[in-house]
Formats: sequence, structure tokens, C-alpha cells
Amino acid sequence: MKIAVCVKQVPDSETRINLAEPSAELDRSGFTRVLNPYDAYAVEEAIQIKEKLGDDTEVTAIIIGGEQVMESVKKDCLAVGCDKAIRITDDFDNAEALQIAKVLTAVVKRDGYDLVLCGKQAIDDDDSQVGIMLAELCDMAHVSVVTDLEFDGGNFTATREIEGGSEVVKGATPALFTCQKGLNEPRLPSLPNIMKAGMKPVELLTCADLGIEVPAAHTEITTYIPPAERGECKIIENEDPAAAAQELAKLLREEAKII
Amino acid sequence: MPNIAVFIEQRDGEAKKVAWQMINHARKITDASGGEVWGVFLGKDAGDNAAAAGSWGAHKLFTAIDENLAGYNSELYTTAVASFCNAHNPDLVLMGATAMGKDLAPRLAARMDCACVSDSIDVNFDNGFTVRRPVFAGKCFTDVTVKSSTAVVGIRPNSFNLGEPGSDTATAETFDPGIGEVTPKATVAEVKATSGGAIELTEADVIVSGGRGIKEADNYKMIEELAGVLNAGTGASRAIVDAGWVDHSFQVGQTGKTVSPNLYIACGISGAIQHLAGMSSSKCIVAINKDSNAPIFKAATYGIVADLFEVVPALKEAIQSLD
Repeated sequence: MKIAVCVKQVPDSETRINLAEPSAELDRSGFTRVLNPYDAYAVEEAIQIKEKLGDDTEVTAIIIGGEQVMESVKKDCLAVGCDKAIRITDDFDNAEALQIAKVLTAVVKRDGYDLVLCGKQAIDDDDSQVGIMLAELCDMAHVSVVTDLEFDGGNFTATREIEGGSEVVKGATPALFTCQKGLNEPRLPSLPNIMKAGMKPVELLTCADLGIEVPAAHTEITTYIPPAERGECKIIENEDPAAAAQELAKLLREEAKII
Repeated sequence: MPNIAVFIEQRDGEAKKVAWQMINHARKITDASGGEVWGVFLGKDAGDNAAAAGSWGAHKLFTAIDENLAGYNSELYTTAVASFCNAHNPDLVLMGATAMGKDLAPRLAARMDCACVSDSIDVNFDNGFTVRRPVFAGKCFTDVTVKSSTAVVGIRPNSFNLGEPGSDTATAETFDPGIGEVTPKATVAEVKATSGGAIELTEADVIVSGGRGIKEADNYKMIEELAGVLNAGTGASRAIVDAGWVDHSFQVGQTGKTVSPNLYIACGISGAIQHLAGMSSSKCIVAINKDSNAPIFKAATYGIVADLFEVVPALKEAIQSLD
């Protein structure tokens, strides 16, 4: 079985956005970049499937970006068990999801993966689009926001999170899954494996190598806007917690008018 | 003169409120700029949705009635909505940023090769559509313009106010969903409800959340009890989800859910930046924390600096005794 894991490097969740007023640009210099947290569940799931199915299963991590993304690829993909990586080197910074999905489609079609795993969303753009679009463009089944995944031969049973419950989806490979927290516990790389990860093969590709034009965008981000300022917090000063609670209830009813 | 289609999501025949919110907002756009608002309904039975869609502002309701469209299937629903778009060429397709809408929108946009904008909070029209949406879980917002001839836009529930319904009825029309030849590669075998009928966080008007300050898993019931008297959803910080005290579906923040209720009560949550990102667009925020230096107070509207084990039960009683 051939498994692809599509990953992205993103600013970590501690990142502060420095934006004083609406601006056409966002200053991304100073951001600490890490593997997208949801992609870690996709990587772990791929490795667990390989461990179950045996060594003729091959796991390939696919990423788009400059040389700086290789740190995440080595440490969080190759060092934990992916067999190889593909890096698309064209400049897709700030590209929209459909452009990314079209490039990944060219790779998936070229290599013929049985299974594609993605994170449910990247925590920078919060689009939750690329994986599902990739499934559509590759004419594959997909299940998004997956919290449980089982295989029986070429058939899968996936559980996905919905409002107030879950959906159990059944189908057959080839298929794509977008992974949600709760699916598994991603392992950490060991130091020797990080050292060895540097020996694993990394294929560099461009759109030209894949025989496609660089896809055009259908959207444009015109402005980045900081969140609205919040007023001063009104601290309820009362030594007696019961009295403070009563005062708060009264404020919520009479001043904020929300309960 | 934009024509705006609004996908009316139903589960078990019941339409989601976000559909009416989107129709109401779309009607404001077409009243100003011309064009029509079209409800699009897939299901096994049209019910009284023509009257409902009309009352919120839709000019027409297009339905495709088919046993195979009774419940959600990503491939069949994609084909059905794409068939509608090919037949009627809407300039914009709105759908709720719900579990169903977030699953359907990207597949539909990829099929139609058009713009797709997720999880948005506002849409405006001025010779083209501009969509506002949060990124980085709400640490920042973007305005996105659409360059393709149509676009699929997901709208977060409760982004638009729902005024009073009118008395108009939408003109009822049908369309061919084109699913006769489609054999889905995956199907929903079962829908399971979480026990207790928890209120969905992304749709809740009020949320009570607990963090590390509750000290142990058992004490989360104090959060649930306060939520009970407010008819609120319950949330959690990443710390207590990672500790295994509550399920991940309750997590609020950058690697959980982004929420914007009218009232968010944070109990024993210090306010890590990942958490603040996920809830700081709530209209009113209450912080209850022992530590007066906790960052949560910078985001809060009201704060009580005290032991939550004393304040939370007292607040429950105080709310119960309001008439």
C-alpha cells in the first residue's frame, strides 16, 4: 500500500500577530514555524497503518515550501517513520487552498497513492479545504474531521465529528482522510532517528516537473485587520464570593442584558 | 445584480437556523444591489420550507427531493448543488460553516473550479463580493475578494442577526440533482448522538468553560451545573483536555473550536494566547480566577478575582434566583 501524508509548516500556536491597524500585508518575519498540529495526527496514523500492514507499505510526506520547511519534514515526518518526502519548491506562500490542492493532485495522480492523509485544517489560514479538494480532484472518497479509522482489507470505517455527535462513514480505498485531534497520540522522534532522517530520500519537484501550469488564484486577500479592541475589564470588588456572584448576575442581566 | 443561492442544511428534515440567517443577510444585499435570493434544499420531503425561506427573505426555493438525499453524503450533495449551479448560475453560494457545510463547500468549489472562502463572518457586495473571515483562530481577520464568476462561501452560525420574519412565501421550484448515475464511493452508515445532548459550542449563545483551576476531572460537573441554569454549552481549556479530564470536542482555542457566543464564562482559565484566540470575539466575557494577573482578565468584560470553588456555585444560585 502506498500512503501519502500532506503536511504544512505553520507559525506555532503561541504566535502573536503584530498588527496595529488594517494593512495589506502581514509581517510574518519572527514567527516560529512548526509542523501543523493536525498534520501530526495524519503522520502518526500513516505510521500506525504501516506498522500494522508491514514493510511493503510505503509512507511519503508531501510538503510545499522553501528549504526552511525541511526542519519539520525531517524531525516530525521522516524521524518518526515516514519513508521519504517530496517537496514542491515553487513559491506558494499565501496561495489559496485550491491552488495547493491542484499541485498535490498532480503528485497523487503521478504516484498513485491508495491512501492520502491530511490534517483537518492548518492553524494559520484555518481554511479546512485542501484535503477535501484534493479528494475531489483525484476522484477519491473522503472523510473529514476523522477521530477514528479502521481498515478491513481495502474497506474503511471512519468516524467523524459532527455537531452533538459523530457520523460513521464506510467506503473503499483509494480514499482521503482529514485527521482531528483524538485520532491518535503522535509519537516524538528519538535523537538517533532525527540523525538518520537526514539519510532518507527527499524528492524536489516543481510544477514544470509535474507537467502542470502554476495554478491561478480565484481569491485575493486585500486587507489584514486586527481584532476589535476590548474595553477595560470591570473587576467586581467584593470580599464575599456570594455577594460578588450576585452582583455579577445583576450586571449580566441589567447592564450587559444577556441573561 | 447578484443572484445569491443559500444552501439550506437539514438534518432529519429540520433546517438549521444559520440558513435563515444567511437568507436574511443575502436579502439585504439584493435589496440594495438587485438580484434575487434563492434557497436550495435537498432532502426527501420539502416540508414547509418554501414558507419559511420566504419569510426570511428568499425570492425562490429550489428543491431536489430524492430518498438518496435524505441524509448527508458528500459526493451526492456535491453533485446535487453543482447541478443546481450549472442550471441557474448563482453569483454566490452561501452555506453554514457547520460540520456538513465545511465538508461540502471545498468539494463543491473544487468541482466548479471557483473561489472557496471558509468560516466567514461577513459578506458584502460592491461590484463584486468581499468576505471577512478570521485567521489564526481569530488573532487577526482578513478581507477576501472573489475573482471567479461564482464563489462558495461558508458562514459561521450566528454571524448575522435574525430579525422578525415577514409574511412572504418563496416561489417553489424544483431542480434535477443529477445523482441518478452517481454511485458514492463512501456512505454514512450511522449517525450517533453524544449522550446528554450537549449543546454544540459553535452554535451556543452562552458557554461556560473550565480550566486547570478546577483542579480535578470530577470538578467539571460544577461547570456543567452552572451551564445547566444558563442553558449553556460547556467548554474547556487545552490543559484539561490534554490531561484527559474532558473530551477534545469541548476544547476552545486554536487547536480546538473557535466560538463567539453572547456570553462566555471562563472559570479557572488563565488565558493562554491559544485559548484567547478561540473565544475573544465573544460579545461578553466573564473571568473567574484567583490570580489577578491572569491574562484572561485583559480579554474580559467582567471579572471576579476569587476562588472559583466559592464563586461558581454562588453564581449558579444567583442566576437561579433572578426572575
